[in-house]
Amino acid sequence: MTAATPVAPGPLPVAPRAGVAVPGLARLLRLELRHNAMLWLLPVAGALFWFNGYREIMALPPMWNLRAMTLQNRLLLDLTIPVTAAAAWMGSREGRRNVADLVAGTARPRWARQLATWAATTAWAEVACLACIAAVYVMTARQASWGGPLWWPAVVSAAGIPALTAIGFAAGAWFPGRFVTPLVTIVAFFGLGFGTQAASGDHSYWQISPLTAGAFDIGAAPGVATFYHYLPDLSIAQVMFTTGITFGILGVLGVSSALNGPRLRRLAAVIAAAGLAAAGTAVALAGTGRLDPHGMIVIPALHDAASNQPVRYTPACSRTAIPVCVHPAFAVFLPAMTAAVGPELTEIAGLPGAPARISQVAEVYQQEPQNGIVSLAGVPGGSTFILPDQVPGEPGATSAQFAGDLEDTLGLQLIRDVILGENASAVAARPSQAQLAVIAASVRPGSVWLGPSAADANAPELSGRPLLALSSPAARAAHRFAALPPDAKHAWLAQHLAALRAGRIPPAQLP
Amino acid sequence: MTAGAVRQAPPSALRLVRLHAASRRLPTAVALLAACAAGLRAALFGPWDAYGALQLPLVFEAGCAAVIAVTAGSPFGEPERATGRWLPFLRLGSMVALTALAVGVLSAAAIGTHLSGGFLDVLRNVAGLTGIGLLCAVAFGGPLAWTGPLVYLLAGVYGLYTDWHPPTLSMPWIWPARPPHDVGGALCAACVFAAGMIAITVRGARDSAGA
Repeated sequence: MTAATPVAPGPLPVAPRAGVAVPGLARLLRLELRHNAMLWLLPVAGALFWFNGYREIMALPPMWNLRAMTLQNRLLLDLTIPVTAAAAWMGSREGRRNVADLVAGTARPRWARQLATWAATTAWAEVACLACIAAVYVMTARQASWGGPLWWPAVVSAAGIPALTAIGFAAGAWFPGRFVTPLVTIVAFFGLGFGTQAASGDHSYWQISPLTAGAFDIGAAPGVATFYHYLPDLSIAQVMFTTGITFGILGVLGVSSALNGPRLRRLAAVIAAAGLAAAGTAVALAGTGRLDPHGMIVIPALHDAASNQPVRYTPACSRTAIPVCVHPAFAVFLPAMTAAVGPELTEIAGLPGAPARISQVAEVYQQEPQNGIVSLAGVPGGSTFILPDQVPGEPGATSAQFAGDLEDTLGLQLIRDVILGENASAVAARPSQAQLAVIAASVRPGSVWLGPSAADANAPELSGRPLLALSSPAARAAHRFAALPPDAKHAWLAQHLAALRAGRIPPAQLP
Repeated sequence: MTAGAVRQAPPSALRLVRLHAASRRLPTAVALLAACAAGLRAALFGPWDAYGALQLPLVFEAGCAAVIAVTAGSPFGEPERATGRWLPFLRLGSMVALTALAVGVLSAAAIGTHLSGGFLDVLRNVAGLTGIGLLCAVAFGGPLAWTGPLVYLLAGVYGLYTDWHPPTLSMPWIWPARPPHDVGGALCAACVFAAGMIAITVRGARDSAGA
């Protein structure tokens, strides 16, 4: 063994100055970004969103309201498992590796180190969230026929990410065992996914859940946020709630460790109190919500009256005998609509009482007890209509079902108003057998229609019973009349409509 | 071997089992399985719509499977493998016992209430999810074994959702979405469970630096 060579004294270590604090924290954040579990879970997050959310969202009609509101309902839940698990894993790192005492002696307070790790986890999680939003919005922008992105649903989803990471991180930091990551993830998933089960009506506090994109029992409906602006009231409350939860939990995390020093713990306590107060206020605000006639939740304290104005638009119209005009967001359905009711339009065009054009109008929603909601045509009349609740592309809805619903509602309305005349509603209780036969023969081209299904709440009132007895003379007349082409029906009606309305034509005289 | 040694054998075997259980945190795992069952019991008293009633049990089944899979991790690593002649049997026994216990407590928790799918659903889902967890334990290590059951949970929940909103996911690999008596789903779950058990018995959980 030799004596150690004397070493020339080097420069003494310099105490950190205030000016180098930010670069030091930035370097810490960069290190945490490079060694973060969320980075490895990004592909998992992307795959889960693709499997659970993206495919279904992109199968929806290319309407901004449908896709953005469905995105809010699905994205955060899809990301809950990877995001919360990664945060819990990172939060439990020091305890799991038994290095808590080792790093306690470093220059940075424990809270600052924890916040850097949390921020890095949140940053990667936000990357996943924003990438998912971008994928949906870019594709929708290329397909939508009208409108622009609805940003509030995206903001709510993005604001929910820090809350999830804060919950996971704090649980991992407080209970750094091998079981904490799966358990806190399960609890977060259960809380978020099943938290709205107890919701009831438009005054429910549970609608503060960031997955709630609108009124319960409406959700993402085609008629919501098309004729009127998307109301951000509930979204603002939800962002306030998730931000408050984030600050509250991070503040409590700072208070809970004696290693942070009294000044830092006081600051953390103030942040925690402010965050929890904001979250509580947001819940209270959500409880004051009410369903507005246009299907959105209004929170009086957050409501801007200017957003009650209808959206200006130029309708998209069909080139049919009677033009059918719809909101341009629904232009994609125009071919299906004209195919469904085209024969009726040809049959009644130019007849007395037939409209010169028919226009889609906004639905009016009414809250019923519990979660029941009814929708009605905002401007009832012979020249207006509302589309069926379910449009092709929505889960469980098919093009055939859409066409059938249109025939049962719009088709029946058109035929009824022409055959029964201006007082269609008044005489609907007792139309003649011939009138019923013509209506039954015209609602569904090529077949005899016996009446609206019990489930079709939007079907116009006619008799409340099946139109025709199956073996009656009127039914046989209806079968004869239904076999005629639309032009022949039109020609006959042009000659005999007045007599038919007056009840002077028996079923036997129908061609 | 003396008569005394023969008499001492049972206590030493029991001690080995006890030490193995302690090293895998089995007592904590048993307590957590009981907590999951209690949570399911409490949740079943709540008012649930169709989605909730269908999806609720799967959440607790996935929680149980994740807990079981996490216990597969060994704190000793190579020294234990080099000296533990009975280790594969201990691993197999502990995993089978925990899985059976999970099925038992979850089924017991549903007595007197309406559990969607019933006992067969619990058996199939817990076995399949545990198999996924054990395969993850072999691949990623015990501390990360929860990844498989939790990720599969989301796929299963979505599969149940599509039962109400077509197109239905009819693949037997998404067995939670299949009816309890469906043979294809049960076979898939059984295959995954068997693969997980064989893998964890033969190879054990991967040693993880992050443990």
